[in-house]
Amino acid sequence: MDIIACIKRVPDTTGADRIAIDASGRDIERRLVAFKINDWDEYVLEAGVQLKEGLGGSLTALTVGSQEWEDILRRALAMGADAAVRVDEDVVDADPRTVAAILSSAIGRLSYDLVLFGAQSEDFGCGQLGVMVAEMLGIPHAALVVDIQAEDGWAKVSRELEAGLLETYRMRLPALLTVQTGINRPRYISLGGIRRAMRRELQVTSLGELGLSGEALAPVVRLERMELPPKGKEAVLISGSPEEAADHLTRILQDSGVL
Amino acid sequence: MAEILVVAEHRRAKLADISLQVLGLGQRLAEEWGAELVAVVVGGDVSGYAETLARWADRVLSVRATGLDEPLAEPCQRILAGIIRERNPALVLMGHTSFAMDLAPALAVELGAPLATDCVDVALEDGGVRVTRSVYGGKVNALYSMAAGETAIVTGRVGEFSAGEGNRRGEIEEVAVDTVEEYGYKQFEGYVEQEAGGVDITQADVLVAVGRGIGDRENIRLAEQLAAQLGGVVACSRPVVDQGWLPAEHQVGLSGRTVGPKLYLALGISGAFQHMVGCRGARMLVAINRDPKAPIFAAADYGIVEDVLRIVPVLAEKIAETRS
Repeated sequence: MDIIACIKRVPDTTGADRIAIDASGRDIERRLVAFKINDWDEYVLEAGVQLKEGLGGSLTALTVGSQEWEDILRRALAMGADAAVRVDEDVVDADPRTVAAILSSAIGRLSYDLVLFGAQSEDFGCGQLGVMVAEMLGIPHAALVVDIQAEDGWAKVSRELEAGLLETYRMRLPALLTVQTGINRPRYISLGGIRRAMRRELQVTSLGELGLSGEALAPVVRLERMELPPKGKEAVLISGSPEEAADHLTRILQDSGVL
Repeated sequence: MAEILVVAEHRRAKLADISLQVLGLGQRLAEEWGAELVAVVVGGDVSGYAETLARWADRVLSVRATGLDEPLAEPCQRILAGIIRERNPALVLMGHTSFAMDLAPALAVELGAPLATDCVDVALEDGGVRVTRSVYGGKVNALYSMAAGETAIVTGRVGEFSAGEGNRRGEIEEVAVDTVEEYGYKQFEGYVEQEAGGVDITQADVLVAVGRGIGDRENIRLAEQLAAQLGGVVACSRPVVDQGWLPAEHQVGLSGRTVGPKLYLALGISGAFQHMVGCRGARMLVAINRDPKAPIFAAADYGIVEDVLRIVPVLAEKIAETRS
């Protein structure tokens, strides 16, 4: 089974209290935040590695981004990917449609039985890319997948619906699945593993090599500006040492009749 | 007259609440734009849904597709694409649900229509549709404009829009579609309910909910001790289930349970909307998180900016003292 795992790099904004809008007004100050692999994509890579280990075949990690994005490809190699491809183009604020056009073109040049995406990204959270790519490639898809059982030519998958309900499908391969978190437990990667992956060769391609330009990539949805959300109702903050704050909260709970 | 088309959603013989929320948004936009509000519902027997929708919309397209009892993405996409091509609405609205995430991106590509997903606001400016999305974990708002002159497809965030008024008498239009074709490459096998364990968090008066900020499986016992002191039970956000630290029956949120306890004490939960839609029925919401910018502080009644591991043992002790 040949598998392609599409992954992306995102700013780590959980716990980041220094979020500011940059001078362009269309992005955050990137120098204030660290970067990491998209949470969903760790599950994508683990799913890909497990399927390959079970059925044989290959796993290729694919991304679109500048050279800085190679750290997530190294991570993919360390997790067990056989090859890594980067389309050299900065698409950070691009319309998902544009990125889908690039990825479907890159995927179309590879051999595959299964294409895996994260169900969404941590940064923009559009949840569009994978399903768009499936439509562009003309292959069946399922979004928000929490279980994959693959066997020759077919996959049985479970999709997550709302309120703890799942639905199951039997799908003919090749197919595209977008993976939900919790589908597996992504393996731990050692520093040694990353170091060994540093010596591996990455394939780099460009829009020109993919025969893409201009009109095919024009955005139909444009990011105009970003702003910090207006201050709404805020919690009454209880300050002081842990002892003082715990004391204060206990009194509030008593007064409200919870205690 | 311009048209706003709302795609209603149903599953297992029930119209989804989100459909009325999206119609509430549609009512506001239709009034501002002077547009006609049309709801469309596609399925095997949809006449009951059509009657409900007619109280919210000016017109309902009741699309009977024999054999399509459950909302399968591929046939729904083909049928909706045909209707949208024919009617050419200015805007198509759906809820940002699992159904829409499986369908809307493919529909947008098929139609060549601009798509904006999980929007928290929609407006018409300079003849084009503008949307606001909440990005970077709720810490930033991003404003987008969608290409004018095309049918814009927008999915709205669940729980963000109120259902509006159901006092209209919209006209119901029966729409015939050809027999739904077979999709041999993708066969629906059925629904699976998540297994119910021994815990029912929806019945508890006090919930001590843990999030990623609890740090480790071992630390969950701190929350359990605190819950025991408060006479409550432990709940959690999605990452805790994803890590395998607690079983899924403890999960609050969109893909978990919806709760409304007297007290919801959130420990190390950032406040992603997927979680918050599940706990906003709480009478009192208290958040403890070491990130002062965590979105949960905008929703909580009381907040403490502190590492949960430092304060929770102290809090459990204080409460034990008070009770004795």
